[in-house]
Amino acid sequence: MTNSMTEKSLPAKRPLADWLRWNVAKLVVAPTFALIIFFVYGFIAWTGYVSFTKSKMLPTYSFDGIYQYVRLWKMSTWHVAMENLLVFGGLFILIAIVLGCLLAVALDQRVRAEGLLRTVYLYPMAISFIITGTAWKWILNPGLGLEKMFHSWGWESFSFDWLINSDMAIYTLVIAAVWQSSGFVMALFLAALRGVDSEIIKAAYLDGASLSRIYLVIILPTLRPVFLSSFFILAHMAVKSFDLVVALTGGGPGNSSIMPANFMYEMTFRRNQIGLGAASAMMMLATVMAIVIPYLYSELRERKHG
Amino acid sequence: MATLTIQNVKKSYGAVDVLKGIDLELENGEFLVLLGPSGCGKSTLLNMIAGLDTITDGEILINNKVVNDVHPKDRDIAMVFQSYALYPNMTVERNIGFGLEMRKVTKEDRERRVDEAARMLQIDHLRDRKPAQLSGGQRQRVAMGRALVRKPEIFLFDEPLSNLDAKLRVEMRTEIKKLHQRLGTTMVYVTHDQIEAMTLASRIAILREGEIQQFASPQEVYERPANMYVAGFVGSPAMNFIPATVVSENDRLGVSIERTARGERSSVFLALPDDLQSIGEWIGREVILGIRPETLTHRSDAEMTQNKRLQPFDCQVEVLEPTGADTLTYIELGGREVIARVNPYNTSNPGETMAFMVDMGKASLFDPKSEMRI
Amino acid sequence: MADIASLPGGNSPWRSAGRFGLYFLLISFGAYYILPLIVVLSTSFKDLDEIRNGTLLSLPAEINLESWRYAWSEACIGVSCTGLKPYFWNSVMMTIPAVLISTVLGALTGYALTKFKFRGANMVFAMILFGCFIPFQVVLLPMAQSLGFLGLANTVPGLVLVHIVYGLPFTVLFFRNYYVSIPDDLIKAATIDGAGFFTIFWRILLPLSPPIIVVTIIWQFTQIWNDFLFGASFTTGGGQPVTVALNNLVNTTTGVKRYNVDMAAALITAAPTLAVYVLAGRYFVRGLTAGSVKG
Ligand SMILES: Nc1ncnc2c1ncn2[C@@H]1O[C@H](COP(=O)(O)OP(=O)(O)OP(=O)(O)O)[C@@H](O)[C@H]1O
Ligand SMILES: [Mg+2]
Repeated sequence: MTNSMTEKSLPAKRPLADWLRWNVAKLVVAPTFALIIFFVYGFIAWTGYVSFTKSKMLPTYSFDGIYQYVRLWKMSTWHVAMENLLVFGGLFILIAIVLGCLLAVALDQRVRAEGLLRTVYLYPMAISFIITGTAWKWILNPGLGLEKMFHSWGWESFSFDWLINSDMAIYTLVIAAVWQSSGFVMALFLAALRGVDSEIIKAAYLDGASLSRIYLVIILPTLRPVFLSSFFILAHMAVKSFDLVVALTGGGPGNSSIMPANFMYEMTFRRNQIGLGAASAMMMLATVMAIVIPYLYSELRERKHG
Repeated sequence: MATLTIQNVKKSYGAVDVLKGIDLELENGEFLVLLGPSGCGKSTLLNMIAGLDTITDGEILINNKVVNDVHPKDRDIAMVFQSYALYPNMTVERNIGFGLEMRKVTKEDRERRVDEAARMLQIDHLRDRKPAQLSGGQRQRVAMGRALVRKPEIFLFDEPLSNLDAKLRVEMRTEIKKLHQRLGTTMVYVTHDQIEAMTLASRIAILREGEIQQFASPQEVYERPANMYVAGFVGSPAMNFIPATVVSENDRLGVSIERTARGERSSVFLALPDDLQSIGEWIGREVILGIRPETLTHRSDAEMTQNKRLQPFDCQVEVLEPTGADTLTYIELGGREVIARVNPYNTSNPGETMAFMVDMGKASLFDPKSEMRI
Repeated sequence: MADIASLPGGNSPWRSAGRFGLYFLLISFGAYYILPLIVVLSTSFKDLDEIRNGTLLSLPAEINLESWRYAWSEACIGVSCTGLKPYFWNSVMMTIPAVLISTVLGALTGYALTKFKFRGANMVFAMILFGCFIPFQVVLLPMAQSLGFLGLANTVPGLVLVHIVYGLPFTVLFFRNYYVSIPDDLIKAATIDGAGFFTIFWRILLPLSPPIIVVTIIWQFTQIWNDFLFGASFTTGGGQPVTVALNNLVNTTTGVKRYNVDMAAALITAAPTLAVYVLAGRYFVRGLTAGSVKG
């Protein structure tokens, strides 16, 4: 309820009981808020600070300016990681959205066994990226996987070695990530399609528009918010992606499919370069914020207008 | 039963002043209706009486004790919400008994009182249903039952009938009235329906943009509206407002109204009754004459000789709107469209000139600038 | 909305061709999603000879559970050859309390932030919400230090703490968005009836909450069970959750590569979340799309 029962202090009859009654909401929120303040904001501040020091195996607290950032941006591995993020993120988002949207429109045509198909499209969402990586590693395995299957079907020249090809390894990540996430995008689109006002469609139909035109010109434009949400959710996933790389390519061959999250982990926990790890983490945070802040801004603005 | 006093109560949300100093005083057992258009602050005031909203400034007293900082549950009030606010997961019986349960009333006592309330409202056959399985009218009754069973000092109603269809609304209105007569509890009732206000209230407070326009009995509000806003808000069809000039003719004060009849300009003189003769200072100045449609009707010479306040004039009929009991007759006076309520057997056809009389004893005069009653 | 298909005038040969294309599309993508599961499942039932001689899609000659048994209780994870069993239980012990505690805290916080708004409640919510968006890399280092300081490094309670803290923004978001849609009048009525903060929560809000509780529990369960980053960063050896153990098992390179065991181990790891999804996924999608995503 609006602003109620909290602002004014009370007569001194039973001070404690009354105080509790008027402040219980704050007391209930306090533990959660304290945890977030400490573990989110405090920790970010700590990481931020360490990124400005020359910490190696143990954190040191003498301020050293942007040394670590300069070093980070001079490392070719970091450049590879950022480029990979761009390639992986771009393809992953694009394909997942197109596929999710396509499947949602297709499922929306009163098809038989819709429930079964939906379940099939969606189940990968429940699975850990580690498992996804393990499974696709086996399927894409050059010796025993897809390649062998096509050979045994008589397509002797078929070769599929992306997993061990440093130019192509990054695309195997796209295949597996799309497999895991596009069903979720489909679910978002499907829910939105089901919410489209059916009278608009009937009106367009009476005007003689064909089904494909109705979708392209009338329905999809109204789904703009879903496109946006999907974009931001997927972008966020892309920046965070760590497990899939570990399980599917291990960042290899060489460092060819490494991502920023793996870089950070490697520096922090394997190479004892805490300062550098912190700097790369802050760069990741900056990347996410560059995506999220415009999103939240547009969401809030839309809600005000709506 | 309780008295309720509201002293200079204000409420602001940030820079927005929603209530700008409300003063009200209620006797034991009164039925106060807060009447006003949407957004004028009625619910806000009610919530503050209930203790559901903080008070920015001023004091609210129940039984002469300041309750500003008393928790709602200790104020001994019950409230019926516009949305009914029935607990969706509880049966009707538990909904009604919840307040008693919270107050640790024993089970037998609770059952007895729930029983009593349910029977009073004729919902005892619905006791085991959930709110979702009830019709709108039934939900309304349950919401009332929930308030009734507590036997509070004050009942608060926030537009309790506005979600019902017209017929049910009239029925429930009567029931609420009966309830008040039986219980004699002080009640505060919010509505934007002026008919509800007139039928239920012992006193009406008319709110506009957070300010009280008039606080008086329904009859007084109707007959002696404090300003043009109140006059226009109460009554249907609304009061006619006619620009006029105060003049003196043959030693009598009256108003002169300009009009155009068959292309010719002329004026109508209507003498003011004796109790309005004291407005000499207004001679020659513009006023707004307020006439309720039912005080403007076809001329009857018999009545006119009995009642000196009835003033005659002739006017051309423009449009007729029969309503059954009366026919609303539209004429033009002072450049305005004016409605007269005429017996259907005495109407003239549109275009014809008809003889009217107006009861100036029931007329109001307003200052055109301040819109206040003179 | 595709009622159009049933409107008159749509029965041309083009329409039949369109329907055919539609089902072709739906089924081929169905295959893309389902085949990996079938491949993994069938591989886990094969023995190594069958794997070497057959192909991905060739079916196992018999349902052979040997590799499942081996993955569960014998496979080597790093140097200790205990199978996934102890790690699986680590994950269970980690997931259950973390899911329950973060859900309860999220529900109470979401309730307090919507129904008992105090000054600054929206600001508090925005600050909590921020936690949904951070890449966890920015907290890994200080968290590792803090866990060590608290004596929780490499322990299940340590992981429980981590998952509660970083799950809270999501649970608060879910409950808050659900509770804003519940009318305030209900709380006002209960307040006048004499119910206090916790009574209103327990007697009125909670009975209305099962849809969002299901969403939150499924979300938290899959997130926590499937987590790899925190497990890999804060645990080693016997304290690892099952996802980390699975990765180690797959990458342990002693002796012959036993793909069937890898696949069985992957399925064992996936079993709980898949089971939850199959049992309650419907409610999850419904709840998620109805409430939280729309905002
Ligand atoms: N929490 C709030 N913050 C800012 N303004 C508010 C808030 N609550 C109400 N108001 C404003 O206060 C004014 C009065 O609101 P209130 O609900 O009392 O109106 P009302 O007279 O009950 O109207 P209705 O007949 O529509 O119920 C409105 O203009 C509303 O916009
Ligand atoms: Mg209101």
